[in-house]
Amino acid sequence: MMFVYHHPVIRRLYINNFRCLENFEMPISGRTSVLLIGKNGAGKTTVGFALEILQRIARGTNRAGELVKPKDFTRGRTEIPMRFEIEVELEGKAYGYSIAFEYPEGFRELRVFEEKLAIDGKTIYSRELAKVHLTKSGQEKEANFFIDWHLVALPIIQQQAAKDPVHAFKQWLGRMLILRPMPSLILGHSQEQTLQPEPRVTDFGAWFGGLMSHAPSAYSKVSEYLKEVMPDLDDITNPIVGTDSRSLFVQYSSEKKTLRLPFEDLSDGEKCFIVSSLVVAANKAYGPVLCFWDEPDNYLAPSEVGHFILSLRRAFQSGGQFIATSHNTETIRRFSDENTLLLYRNSHLEPTLVRTLDKVPRSGDLVSSLVRGDLEL
Amino acid sequence: MSVNKYLPHVHVLPEDDANRQIANGFLLDQCVLASKIQILEEAGGWNEVIERFCSIYASEMERYQTRFMILLIDLDNKPDRLGQVKNRIPQHLADRVFILGALTEPEDLRSGLGSYEKIGLDVAQSCREEVPDIWAHRLLCHNAPELARLRATVRPFLIATD
Repeated sequence: MMFVYHHPVIRRLYINNFRCLENFEMPISGRTSVLLIGKNGAGKTTVGFALEILQRIARGTNRAGELVKPKDFTRGRTEIPMRFEIEVELEGKAYGYSIAFEYPEGFRELRVFEEKLAIDGKTIYSRELAKVHLTKSGQEKEANFFIDWHLVALPIIQQQAAKDPVHAFKQWLGRMLILRPMPSLILGHSQEQTLQPEPRVTDFGAWFGGLMSHAPSAYSKVSEYLKEVMPDLDDITNPIVGTDSRSLFVQYSSEKKTLRLPFEDLSDGEKCFIVSSLVVAANKAYGPVLCFWDEPDNYLAPSEVGHFILSLRRAFQSGGQFIATSHNTETIRRFSDENTLLLYRNSHLEPTLVRTLDKVPRSGDLVSSLVRGDLEL
Repeated sequence: MSVNKYLPHVHVLPEDDANRQIANGFLLDQCVLASKIQILEEAGGWNEVIERFCSIYASEMERYQTRFMILLIDLDNKPDRLGQVKNRIPQHLADRVFILGALTEPEDLRSGLGSYEKIGLDVAQSCREEVPDIWAHRLLCHNAPELARLRATVRPFLIATD
């Protein structure tokens, strides 16, 4: 059997002046899966919030004030722009996108200070405040125009075709999976379809429907995954239950009996298994996907955690990138020094520092060091 | 996803963090059937491996007849340690217990073979393709007899082939 291992997608992620992240560069390049560990308040979840801002831009939210608030500036430091930069490699092309927001005195909401998109080092567009400069490309002439400085330009830059690299980048960014599932709110009902679930995954039914419409073969991946976890799983169906709505049902069977349950009646842990199956299937169907999952081990039995984490890590070995945060010792044990990032803050008045564990001095085993609170940067 | 203890499966007991990470790498190989293998909490030393085995895991192996165990220990340049550990394994369980490890310590393997996870992945590939590769390394070649036993008994249910 031959496996092709692709390069992970993110080459660089840089964040400055956003909450506890100051001059923060995450060492993620070259790693297919990464675990963020650290004490409460170290900034693990904040990394997900930063990615979510980029994701929401690509999904069409373009008003600066809806993306970030004045309170998001580090310690209220509004005299310095808040900056997000991401570099990714997709289908052999290197994309670089950066955006900076500022909050001048007397303003009621933030505005865009700078913004730029480049592909393979060539600038596609750049902007300063309201002035946007589109670079000449192909048949298109270069152009300058003005937009409201409260609006981000990326969502309104017109792509020329589905094969347009700008389209590929926006689509990838918008399809990032930033997950903080709340199983009790996941009911399985849907009135539409999507490939862009929201972080709490309350639109799970819509995501399931969207994935199955996009790639019907994804069902076999979902089923294959779930039968490992729930051997008596028989089928998942998404029938029409009203004029324009659907609802998910899960059927279990043994030799003589079957049991059909509404999705909302599953346990929290079972719902997380099904969310995970969709993550794996989505990465295969429309990947490479970047998946950031905040504490994926919540709700799982201890005997399941290690396998759950390793199955996600394995699924991203051949493409895409998986980032998790965790305090769970079994999750921590299923990552290794080169793909575990320690986030550390000396105090609430100091920035988050980050380093891979292989560069953090420690004695004894890792989990004991964490329990003792001895890991410091 | 958790291991079905009534079907053939293997528990891996690593001596320390380094061996745990090698085991992680092994499980990242797509051909390893993850539902057949469980990595246990690191013991904290080769002596603790055998103490923990004798006090906890041996009786569990008696209870679950389809359970195999791999003890990952460092020999710390003392090849006779292998015999010392083997002598502590109850005779009636010896066929289901395997002892593997580096001749010195895994830290020495890293300089030539890459990260611990990479070493684990290479080990899995070697098991999958039945090529000696990594096992021919001077710090690992002493494992040959145990490997032969593993290939005969554990490989058939642990590694998917097509």
